Amino acid sequence: MRDEALRQALRGAPVPVPPGAEQRGRRVVEAAYAEREAPDRGGTEGRRPLPRLALSLGIATLLAALLLSPAGAAVRDWVGDVVESPAPKPEPELARIPGGGRLLVQSAAGPWVVRPDGSRRLLGDYEEATWSPRGLFVAAAEGRTLSAVEPDGTPHWSLTAAARVRSPRWAPAGERIAYRSGEELRIVAGDGTGDRLLAASTAPVAPAWSPGGDAGLAYVSGDGRLRIVNSETGEALGTASALPNLSRLEWGANGTAILEASPRALRLRPLARWKVAPGLVLGKPRRLPLPGGISLTGAALAPERQAVAAVVTHWREHGTNSEVLVFPPGAEKPRSLLTVPGSLGEVAWSPDGRRLLVAWPGANQWLFLPVGRGRPRAVANISTAFSPGERAASFPRIEGWCCVR
Amino acid sequence: MQVEDGVDERPLVREAQEGSGAAMARLYSLHWRGAYRAAYLVVHDAAAAEDIAQDGFLAAVGALDRFDRRRPFRPWLHRIVVNRALDWARREALRRRVDGAESVFEPLPPPEEIGGELMTALKELPAEQRAVVVLRHLLEYTPGEIARMLELPRGTVNSRLRRGLDRLREAAEAEVSVEERR
Repeated sequence: MRDEALRQALRGAPVPVPPGAEQRGRRVVEAAYAEREAPDRGGTEGRRPLPRLALSLGIATLLAALLLSPAGAAVRDWVGDVVESPAPKPEPELARIPGGGRLLVQSAAGPWVVRPDGSRRLLGDYEEATWSPRGLFVAAAEGRTLSAVEPDGTPHWSLTAAARVRSPRWAPAGERIAYRSGEELRIVAGDGTGDRLLAASTAPVAPAWSPGGDAGLAYVSGDGRLRIVNSETGEALGTASALPNLSRLEWGANGTAILEASPRALRLRPLARWKVAPGLVLGKPRRLPLPGGISLTGAALAPERQAVAAVVTHWREHGTNSEVLVFPPGAEKPRSLLTVPGSLGEVAWSPDGRRLLVAWPGANQWLFLPVGRGRPRAVANISTAFSPGERAASFPRIEGWCCVR
Repeated sequence: MQVEDGVDERPLVREAQEGSGAAMARLYSLHWRGAYRAAYLVVHDAAAAEDIAQDGFLAAVGALDRFDRRRPFRPWLHRIVVNRALDWARREALRRRVDGAESVFEPLPPPEEIGGELMTALKELPAEQRAVVVLRHLLEYTPGEIARMLELPRGTVNSRLRRGLDRLREAAEAEVSVEERR
């Protein structure tokens, strides 16, 4: 088939358009446009401050439009949730990180370090990155190369692996990095020396270090088993069946639990140590109840307690909405922190476990949500902040929130 | 910077940035149909395509103040729309694989019109191949532009195009032979 013939066929192909679709979208877009804040251009030129009444009308129009929008029936189903837990009004840029600490963010251009005052620095052309335990270094992967760089971007060391490097994870004690290379799980010292094989076959899931500063490392083997090994000796410390279709593994809660997440399920497995012999007791996993018909788009285990944050997307016939859930330690049911239209992305706990950072790509925002008391904050224009000079900015991925001090 | 009907977009983008609702409405009118069509040809679901097109415009409105008006608006919007359509298609594929359940969305009607075989073949391509075929042959971006839009190596774009076109060609030839037998 020649290109021109295909072009004609694609242009002429029957594409069903739902009745009124263009008009519904127009109302939503016009309302959003009316509600947006005029840019500050340092003068009166081009600046059109919106009167309070117009702003109120804009918001009201936006809400009305949403109710009639393609989200349609689905919106009407969950509008109560939206009203009960609305997203906060976004600030135009990140002026400080609520609660402090530093963020590691992966954009199309590479990883960025965001300092407590909101200033940021691009580390270089890497595909993946992870903090060292105290935030003194970042381990970054690009192709077959694993590198350690300082948070100002200064390279420290690099090694070249036999296959593509993925999922680097720096041990909490700082002296080791685990990473996947092809199907292998490998270990290298924090100074880049002593690179060695730990396991020949792993599933495509990032390994998780014991948060206690010991040598324990959890990973999922190629045969779908959750394995915990001593990364120094290779000794098996415990094994169990992993959650099917596991996509995320975290070892947190002061080392007392491992979180397993798949696109449809979430479970928490308690851990204990034998008193008289080396090894771990892997307890019976507890499945955390999730609403029916959802996709799990993010999950994270709190650093110092068995609290789990989850982001779920409800797929509806005419649109989607997403919800941030928190399972307090031992609770049977989750608590809903926020419900928004569209899809949310990944979630990360603050280092002190008091806040969550949630990505909201559809609104181009980050949401900082207090788990207890406090005011939620939203920050707008995230994609452009991490895509300077790009023609079309893409939304960055949150890799980690590190180190209050 | 012109769209197909010869309208120069730059003044419209500038006016929209400066607060003209009429300019924003004109940009919407110029681009909604193309954005919807691109989204539909990737996701093959009318309700999802409507959401995605709307979502693309909302993202454009949110980023309008920082948009470099020397750049063309159309590829910027298409990049947003096609990337979101790809995200949707991947999530939907994953969701179906994970729970083995049927989609909650209504299935496409069986193809009866001219081009039906082609549409069926397009639907059966992996989402990544669909996206590059739509960007190349409906929206007429070059492989280099597609590579930048989707953040892919150019070789990957070319290979996806090649594989996608091979499958579509087979479908088109089958359709021609059916027509000839009638």
